[in-house]
Amino acid sequence: MTPALLRRSYVEATPRERIEALADTGSFREILDPFERCSSPYLAEQNIVAQRDDGVVIGRARLAGRDVAAIAVDGRFLGGSIGEIGGAKIARALERAGEGAFLLLDTGGIRLQEANLGLLAIAEICDAVFALRERAPVVAVIAGSVGCYGGMSIVAALCSHIIMSRVGRFGLNGPEVIEQEAGIGELDARDRPAIWRATGGIRRVEQGHADTLAGDDLDELAGALRAAFAAEPNRERLSLERLRRCFAQEAPA
Amino acid sequence: MRGSTWARALLEAPCDAGGFPPSVAVCDGTIAGHAYRTVAIVPNPAARFPRARSGEFGLDEGLAVASAVRGAPAGAALISIVDVPGQAFGRREEAAGISLALAASVAAYVDERRHGRPLFSLIVGKAISGAFLAHGMQSGWIGALSDRDVEIHVMPAASVARVTRSSAAEVARVATVVPATARDIATFASFGAVDAIFDVADANAPEPNEIEAIRAAIDRAREAGLGIRAPLERLDGPQAARRALAREVRARIDEAW
Amino acid sequence: MQRIVVERAGGVPVSRRAHVGAVASGNLEVLCEPAGAGARITVETSVDGYEPVWRATLERFLERNPIAATIEINDFGATPAMVSLRLEQALELAR
Repeated sequence: MTPALLRRSYVEATPRERIEALADTGSFREILDPFERCSSPYLAEQNIVAQRDDGVVIGRARLAGRDVAAIAVDGRFLGGSIGEIGGAKIARALERAGEGAFLLLDTGGIRLQEANLGLLAIAEICDAVFALRERAPVVAVIAGSVGCYGGMSIVAALCSHIIMSRVGRFGLNGPEVIEQEAGIGELDARDRPAIWRATGGIRRVEQGHADTLAGDDLDELAGALRAAFAAEPNRERLSLERLRRCFAQEAPA
Repeated sequence: MRGSTWARALLEAPCDAGGFPPSVAVCDGTIAGHAYRTVAIVPNPAARFPRARSGEFGLDEGLAVASAVRGAPAGAALISIVDVPGQAFGRREEAAGISLALAASVAAYVDERRHGRPLFSLIVGKAISGAFLAHGMQSGWIGALSDRDVEIHVMPAASVARVTRSSAAEVARVATVVPATARDIATFASFGAVDAIFDVADANAPEPNEIEAIRAAIDRAREAGLGIRAPLERLDGPQAARRALAREVRARIDEAW
Repeated sequence: MQRIVVERAGGVPVSRRAHVGAVASGNLEVLCEPAGAGARITVETSVDGYEPVWRATLERFLERNPIAATIEINDFGATPAMVSLRLEQALELAR
């Protein structure tokens, strides 16, 4: 167990640093980097400055020697939300993936400012994940401070393996959205312990909704990622029988 | 109950396929001699999850749709009748893992389509966010009614202004310059996402000639093999002129890969 | 939305491209590329009304670091101190 002082935090690392740390050393080659200036043309109109990689980093990397697609959503830009360009990057990277893909999902889901283009992109990504996982590992890592929400949580649920850290959260609607739509009686978005108890990594792995629990530690996550690639895909996560049992536990008495 | 109305009307058959909760209407019938199953989500005020009583796509709906899709009769094509205000927003839903309910539904649709079962969708009302992702967006052919209640978006209109901390007027203005944020069916169709739009007098009361037109269109689409098209196939083709940026991104990735 | 351009003649070209930061609240993204001659910094910011502060910060940076480079800044309300930090980080990587 790495002493605390030597641990390198995933939460504090940038998306590129995360990919570099998780992939085989020096193997990552970014595609459509910020200098390609492939960024959203829809944001200036809404008084938002566009980030040059549209908040998504993709490229090719090696993982334990395998030629894989590396995908990381940048939770810092507009909450890691998915727009037309970022969505297209993810989908095409999945289609081009050789021997699998890993997705670092720090994302709130669809970018409101691009609404239906984000929606279309996520439908395409769902299909691309499904197609790739028929022949290769597709591993989601949910370990950032934004968590994995919205349409991208559906994408994560379709993956062959999900790794979470204790920091990570995995849900469909974020606590603020629930409080807004259903009122504070339904959920208090400021009750952080309750939120993590319900949707955090520890709970999700306990439920069988995610597969592996790791600490906020790049080296530990790198090990977990390699193990996930070598493991059998999880075919039970979306089993209707299993889900029926899980959901019954949450039904009001 | 617009969803079940259309689910029945399209097949001229009762929605009595058994084993589904009251919020999911499942009908089996034929169009031009070919077998179809229609699936619709409808309000269920007695649903066991209080946050899923007004037609939302919740935990039970995800399981039921997945089950209806995978259990459709051999050789039957599927028609998703879409009128869903969104996914269920609730603490129980989040604790239970509603993302997986939606994913189970998506997986069922994608799996069946990839194994050769044609998928069609008919948007008759709201098609919002995760609910639409889970029920309707994976179809190879998507039709819609031209009706003012038909809207496609990722969030209810009132919430958009709140979340973006802007006014309803500003949201409306943005919709005119950023078509992706518009809610109407014509604009959504301009992205190549909709294959046919049907005029109807009253979306709550389909008339025989209206039903016939849609049945004929679905039959033609089935003949043309459109039901098994994957979402990404929509990107190439004349109707997808407005997806040029996505195509460009893909081409540039291909060059560099 | 405001665009600000600051230029300075002469300078020594940086060796390579560099990219730092992100467009998050209080943060900025910096793209730095070698140029033949002169420095040109283009700022895109969603916080209007601080042009004099930008000019002062960027001119001071170029005074201290007479480079020939094309620098693009995408800003979301960073403080001058943060702007200077990011520019220093970019320069470190670009040398």
